Amino acid sequence: MTGPRRRAHLSRWAVGGLTVMGLLIAVSIVVPIASPYSYRAQRLDEMFGAPSAQHWLGTDHLGRDILARVAYGGGISFLVSGTAVLVQTVLGVTVGLIAGYSGGRTDAALMRLTDVILAFPPLLLLLLVTGLLGPTLVNIVLALAISGWAGMARQIRAEALTLRTRDFVVAAHALGATDGVIVRRHLLANIATIAMVRASLDVGPVILSESTLSFLGIGIQPPTPSWGAMIAEGFSHLRTHPALTVIPSVALSLAVLSLTFVGDGLTEAIDPRQRRQ
Amino acid sequence: MLRYLARRLATMVPLVLGTTLVVFALGRLAPGDPVQILFGDRGDATAIARGRAQLGLDRPLAEQYVRFLGRLGRFDLGVSYAYPGKPVSELLAGAVSTSLLLGVLAVCVALAIGLPLGIAAALRPGGVIDRLARFVTLIGIAVPFFVVAAGLVLLFSLRLGWLPVSGWGQPRHLVLPIVVLMLRPMAYILRVTRLAVSQVLVEDFIRTARAKGLGSGAIVLRHTLRNAAITIATTAGLSLSLAFTGAFVTETIFAVPGMGRATVTAILQRDYPTIQAVVMVYTFLFLTLNLMMDCLYAALDPRVRYS
Repeated sequence: MTGPRRRAHLSRWAVGGLTVMGLLIAVSIVVPIASPYSYRAQRLDEMFGAPSAQHWLGTDHLGRDILARVAYGGGISFLVSGTAVLVQTVLGVTVGLIAGYSGGRTDAALMRLTDVILAFPPLLLLLLVTGLLGPTLVNIVLALAISGWAGMARQIRAEALTLRTRDFVVAAHALGATDGVIVRRHLLANIATIAMVRASLDVGPVILSESTLSFLGIGIQPPTPSWGAMIAEGFSHLRTHPALTVIPSVALSLAVLSLTFVGDGLTEAIDPRQRRQ
Repeated sequence: MLRYLARRLATMVPLVLGTTLVVFALGRLAPGDPVQILFGDRGDATAIARGRAQLGLDRPLAEQYVRFLGRLGRFDLGVSYAYPGKPVSELLAGAVSTSLLLGVLAVCVALAIGLPLGIAAALRPGGVIDRLARFVTLIGIAVPFFVVAAGLVLLFSLRLGWLPVSGWGQPRHLVLPIVVLMLRPMAYILRVTRLAVSQVLVEDFIRTARAKGLGSGAIVLRHTLRNAAITIATTAGLSLSLAFTGAFVTETIFAVPGMGRATVTAILQRDYPTIQAVVMVYTFLFLTLNLMMDCLYAALDPRVRYS
């Protein structure tokens, strides 16, 4: 195994990131269940309410409870981004393993495909794919995965290329193991750690992409709340009620920052060489 | 060098052809008949049939594709659905130059701040500048454009009233968009510069130079930077592409009439001819950018040319 033999030590920052992320996820689950307010119930007599005992974070321009919306929006964001990372990881690992293990023409063809995808910035692909397919939750997940799998495929292929020549793979071959068994039992086991760390690094940027898409109005559609769309709605009331923009902005930035710390911490834990001097 | 360039150009041909095929398919698969959309509700069956014949939509697909390529060659990108009668090329001509101007300016500012800060951070790891640099990098990478933009608008436009909230045409309209656009490229340049310089600083020839009694200024300028230059130069290309993608949000927020806003508007309005044109423009833009960066890389590092 290439994984760490001793227990991985996470840096203080990574532990802090994990804690904040855990809290955010807990809020996004508990609040929609426990809150008496729905994310979509409008109360036009309670517009722009200040934080109070009833509405802890106040109400928005349609009198909706901001806490309920931030929590629900966060949940949707985590769900969409988490699923997208899962899909792109599976896709990237599959393509990477096939390319790296089979080599030759298959490898060349698959790598040209990743070249094409990597030639464009992910956000552009994301915008175009969602714009064309239409912004449903499933399409957003698909678009995020389509624009994000190529990097993973490249990295896994590189790993598979070196693993292919290692003694235990050659030995498995000599013992008569089929390609399928070698790929599943030997290669997959050895790239699993790398794939998981890479996936953990991908979550933050994917949440960022999803919220950007929603901010532009091409992502998650109202009345379903999302942090990006909430910030966009808040923009028109920035002068008078900045809280409408500030609250989802803080939540989004906190989430992405903590995920960055967690990803960096995991990378350092499995590969101490990458620790900053 | 020329052979390298020719080889690189040759690999681009299938990519460009592939994109045109995708873009063509996109136009044909798009929901809604373009002729129906152009005529609106007032067209009768014969008029629509005539319109279809005029646009060549009754021909075989292969012939349509060849005609499509011909039109692309003449920069004829069709007529916008959202603004009937307006050629797409006319809609986008100004937008491309606006976005290029904004992107290049943002990258220049990012280089002007990121390079010296990155070098200073690498020279004194753990120092005040290094810690500041790490903080700036973190913000640049983890905080979304629109959050930064909201903060800046709130502070400088709404509270202090120094800068306009949005708009285009005067130099002061450029300030906030450039600040927002340059943040991520700057964070990236800063990080790469810091890493490249600190990696060169531990090399033997630096220790030799120091042992010879060279001043630290000379070591930085003559030995360190020259060796870190290859890595740093290649950041410029990615910085530009970061600035171009940042344009989607930034131009939308600050109402800048550039490619970013044109793309978002076209997608929101489902204006397929414009979307097709935007895809072609971006393909051309990014392929050219990649090619330029590869050439720069090959010019700076002979090993690339001969591999």
